[in-house]
Amino acid sequence: MTTSPRARSLIVHALLIAAALLVLIPVVWVVAAGFRTQISLLSGAFWFSPVLKNFNEVLFSKTSDFLVNYRNSLVVGTLSTLICLVAATLAAWSLNRMSWPRWFVHIFLGWALVFHMFPALALASAWFTIMRTVGLDNTLTAVVLAHTVLNLPMALWLMGVFVRDVPVELEEAARLDGATTPVLLWRIVLPIIAPGLAATGILTFVFSWNDFGVALTLTMKQTATVPVAIAKFAQDYEILYTQMAAAAALSILPALVLLIIGQRYIVAGLTQGAVK
Amino acid sequence: MPGQSGKRGLTRRQVVGAGGAAALGFAAPWRYAAAAKVAPMTIVINQSPWFDSFRKTVELYEKETGNHVELDVNPFAGSLEKQRNSVRAANGQYDLLIMNSGWVAEMYFGGFVEPIAAIDPSFKLDPDVYTLDNTVYFDADKKTMSASGKLMSVPISPLIPLLYYRGDLYKEAGLKAPETFAELEANAKKLHKPPSRYGIVQRGARGPATVSYDFYPYLYGFGGGIFKNQAAGDYTVTLNNEAGRTALDYYLRIAKEAGHPQTASLEQAEVIQNMLTGKAAHIMVVVSAWSQMDDPDKSAVVDKVEFAVTPHAEGFSTGPGLGHWLGGIARNVPDDRKRSALEFLRWFQTREAQLAYTKVGGIPVSAASYRDPIAQERRYRWMKPLGEALPHAVNIYQFPEASEVISILELGLNQAVAGNSTSVQALNSMAEQIFGVMSKRSYNTGKLPALL
Amino acid sequence: MKPSASAAAQMAAVVAEPSAPAGQPAAADFQRGLDERVWRWLTLSPALLLLLALSVLPLVNLFATSFFTVSWSGGHSSFAAAGLNNYRALAGDTLFRAGILNTILFALFAVGGQMLCGFVLALLCTGVTRGRLLYRTIFILPILVPGIVVGAIWKLLLNFDFGLVNQAIALVGIDPLNWLGSANTALASVIFVDIWHWTPFCFLLFLAGLQSLPQDVYEAAKIDGASGWQELTYVTLPMMLPTIMVTFAFRLVLAFKVFDEVYLLTGGGPGTSTQVMSFTLYQRFFREDQTGYGSAMSVAIIFMTCILLSAALAARGRMGAAK
Repeated sequence: MTTSPRARSLIVHALLIAAALLVLIPVVWVVAAGFRTQISLLSGAFWFSPVLKNFNEVLFSKTSDFLVNYRNSLVVGTLSTLICLVAATLAAWSLNRMSWPRWFVHIFLGWALVFHMFPALALASAWFTIMRTVGLDNTLTAVVLAHTVLNLPMALWLMGVFVRDVPVELEEAARLDGATTPVLLWRIVLPIIAPGLAATGILTFVFSWNDFGVALTLTMKQTATVPVAIAKFAQDYEILYTQMAAAAALSILPALVLLIIGQRYIVAGLTQGAVK
Repeated sequence: MPGQSGKRGLTRRQVVGAGGAAALGFAAPWRYAAAAKVAPMTIVINQSPWFDSFRKTVELYEKETGNHVELDVNPFAGSLEKQRNSVRAANGQYDLLIMNSGWVAEMYFGGFVEPIAAIDPSFKLDPDVYTLDNTVYFDADKKTMSASGKLMSVPISPLIPLLYYRGDLYKEAGLKAPETFAELEANAKKLHKPPSRYGIVQRGARGPATVSYDFYPYLYGFGGGIFKNQAAGDYTVTLNNEAGRTALDYYLRIAKEAGHPQTASLEQAEVIQNMLTGKAAHIMVVVSAWSQMDDPDKSAVVDKVEFAVTPHAEGFSTGPGLGHWLGGIARNVPDDRKRSALEFLRWFQTREAQLAYTKVGGIPVSAASYRDPIAQERRYRWMKPLGEALPHAVNIYQFPEASEVISILELGLNQAVAGNSTSVQALNSMAEQIFGVMSKRSYNTGKLPALL
Repeated sequence: MKPSASAAAQMAAVVAEPSAPAGQPAAADFQRGLDERVWRWLTLSPALLLLLALSVLPLVNLFATSFFTVSWSGGHSSFAAAGLNNYRALAGDTLFRAGILNTILFALFAVGGQMLCGFVLALLCTGVTRGRLLYRTIFILPILVPGIVVGAIWKLLLNFDFGLVNQAIALVGIDPLNWLGSANTALASVIFVDIWHWTPFCFLLFLAGLQSLPQDVYEAAKIDGASGWQELTYVTLPMMLPTIMVTFAFRLVLAFKVFDEVYLLTGGGPGTSTQVMSFTLYQRFFREDQTGYGSAMSVAIIFMTCILLSAALAARGRMGAAK
C-alpha cells in the first residue's frame, strides 16, 4: 500500500463526511419539516417558504401542554438518572467488595439480566396496578420509579465494571487507616469512578428521555412526558407530520446540549472502564 | 399562558350569565345548567382530528354551566389500554369513557359501564339522537346490543365512511355521483390516469382495523356479512358465501384495474394524503377527514371534493361500517362524579349543543342538526349524505373478542390484496379461523361449505 | 491491559467474581465484621428493593397468570385454570412463529449492521485529528431521537408517492420502490432504520474501546512493517474482541425487544413480513386482551432469550478458554 498520508486522509474525510450526511439529512429534513405546511411536505416539493405556525402551535396553542411535558421529561430524566446511579453504584460496589455469598451475587445479577431482556411493554400495566394501589398513579414519582428500575440493569452492569477498576489495595489501605464505609465510598471510590458515573448517567438520561410505552401507561394530562406528547401527533387517520417534526426538533435539544457538554465525559468514562 | 389563568374567573362570571339567560327563558335546554352545578369530572378521549371540535364543545359546556371538566387526551396508540387500566382498578381515574366501536362490546360485556338508568332513572335519550345500530343499548341477559337492553351510552361522534370524489374531475368528464358499485367502477376507470392520478385509492394494509374496515362497505353493500345474525345471537360464519365472494372479487378488481399500485401497503392516513395531494379521484374513508379537504395548509384540492353515500349493489342498500365513538359512564367511580358525567351527556345531546358542536367542526349525533339549514351550506356538504347513510350504518361486531376476529380478517384480506392468495382461498381460510375462535369461546356458531 | 481478564460480556460474569474476600487480611477484626454486615445490606438495599417491588412482583404475577384464562364480567375478573393450554397454543400461533423468525433475522442483521457501521466509523474517527469532535457529535445524534419519532420520520422518507428516498433514486433513474409496503423490502427497510437509529450506541462503545488500546503495540507493529490491513486484523481486532462481545450482547438484548419503530413503520405488515416478537406480544396481550395467553407468551420469550444468551456466553467461554 503506497497511498500517501495526504491522499489517505482525504479518503478518510470523504468517508466520514458521507456518513455524516447520511445521519444529518434525515435530522435536518425533520427540523426543516417543522417549518413547512403539511401540504408542502406531502406534495414533496423541495423548496418551501418557512412558517413558524407549527412551533407556535406546539409551544403555545391552548391544546398543547408541551412546556409542561418538557418540564416533566426533564424532572423524570434527571431524578430517575440520579436515583438509578446511586442505587446501581452502591449495589455494584456492595456485590463486588462485600462478602456476599457467591450464589446470591449470581442470582441478583442474573435476575437483573433477565429483567433487562423482558419487553417493558408487558410490565407497564402491572406497574400501573401497583402504582394505583399505593396511590402513586398519575404522579411523576411513578414514572421516576419505573424509569429507574427500567435502566437499573444497564447502570448496574456499567457501574460494576467501573467499581471493579478501583484498586482493592487502595480500599484496604483506607480501611487500615480506620475509614468507615461511607467515608471510604465518598473519599476513595467516588473520585475514581466519577467519569464512569458521567458516562452511565448520560446514557440513562437519554433512555429515560426517549421512553414512550411506560410513560404513556403511567401518566395523564399533567404528568405526560415529551414522547407521549409527540405520539399524539400520530393520529388515527391523520399524522400531523409538521407539528410532530417541530415537537421532535424541540425534543432533541436538551439531549443534544447534554451530549455536547458531556460527550468528553462519556468517551473518557467508557474508555476508562466499561469496554477496555 | 394568559388565556388559561384568566379562565376560571371568567367561568364563574359565566355561571351567573347562564343563570340570567335561563331566567330570561332564552335557552330552554340550559335550564339543567342552572339547576345542576355538579362535581368536577374527567373525560378520557383520544387525540384525533375531530378532537378539537369536541374540546371546544366541552369548553362551551364549562362556560355555560360553570362545571369543571378535565379532558385526558391520549395518543390513539394506547388509548384503549389506558381505559382498560382505569376501569379494571378498584377506583377508576376516568368518569366518562369515550369508547370506540372497536371496544364498546368489551366495556359493556365486562360490566365496566354503568347503565344510565342506574344513575338517573328519568334520563331519556333525545329521540333525534342516532342510536347507531342500537350500539347505545346492551341487553345483559341476551348478551346482545339491541333496543331491548338498557341505555348504556350517548353517541359522541357517529363516524362512518363516505365516498369522497373529485367534483371538478366529475364535471370535466360529465359524470354523475355513483350510487351503485357498477357506476363507481366505471367512473374510477374513467378517471384512472396512473401514475399521476389513480381512479380509486383503497386502504389495503394490515393494521389494527385497517383493510377490514375498508372492506366492510363493500361486503355489506353487496349483501354479505361476517355472521348470520349477531343481534339474535346466531354467529354462523357467512363470510365465505356468494355475496362475500362477489364483494372481495370486486374489491380486488378495482384495486387492480383502477387503483393504487401499492394498495396492499396503504393505511388510512396515506389514502387521505393521496386525495389531499390530488392523486386520487375517489376514496372511501371516514367522514371526519372532511375538514382536511378544505384546509389550504393541508390540501391541494380545496373545495374540489364532494361526498356521497358509499355505493351498494343493485337491490341492496348502502352498508357503511360503524367506526363511531360513544360516551359511557364508568362503573367504578364515586356517585357524584357519575352524576357529573351524566349532566354533561344530558347537555351534549340537546339540539343547541349539537348545533354548536357542528359549527366548531364536529360531526353531530342528532338528526336535528342534519335538518338544520346549516346542512345546506357548502362547507357542510358532507352532512346530507351522512344523514342519509347513518340509519343504514352497520355495527360489525357485537361481542368482546372481536379483536381476534379482526386480526384474522386483517391478515387474510391483506394477503388477498397483495396477491398472495386468491379471493376464494382467503375467504375460506378466514371463515375457518373465525369459526375456530367462535367455537373456542362457545358461541352459537357454524360454518358454510367451503367455496370452490 | 489483558483483554481476556476484562472480557465483560455480561454482568454476571463481570461483577460476580468477588475480589475482596480472597484478599481478606488477618487483621479483619470484630468491628470490621459488624461494619461489613450492616453496610453490605445498606448499600445493596436501594437496588434490591426497587427490583423486588417493580420487577420480581410483576414477573411472578405474570408467571402465575400464564396458567389461567382471564375474563371479565360485572366489572370483576375471573380466572379459569388453563393448565398448560396457553403454552400449547403458542406452537400453533402463526403470528408468534413469524415473530420468532423475523426477530432473529432482525436482530442478527440489524445488530450486525450496527456493529459494522459503528466499528468502521469509530476506526475512521480515531484516524483523524481535524473535526473529530464534530464528527463524533454528529454520529451520536440519532440515539437522541425518540423511537416513535424515528419511526415517523422514516415512514415519511420512505413513502412510495412522495418520500425523499424515492425522489433521490429517481434522480439516478431508478423506479420508485415501495420500501415499507412490499414483502421483499419491508424487513430490510426496518432493519436499515434500526441501524440508522442504533449505530451511535456501537460507535460510542467502540470509540471508547479504541481509545483505550495501548499505543505501544501499534508502534511495535509499525516497526515490524505491518500494513494498515495487517494492523487491523492482527492488532486492533483481537484487542477489541472483548468490547465487541460486550456491545453485541448489549445490543442483541435490546434488538429482541424492538417495538417502537416497527409499530409506526409497518405495524407488522405487509402480511407478516415484519411481525416481530414484541409486536405479536403487544397484539395478543393488549390489543386482543388475552391476558393469560399473553403472559404465557411473555414467559416463553424470556425463556428463549435466556437460552440464546447462555448459548452466546458458552461460546464466549469456549473462545476465552481457547486463548
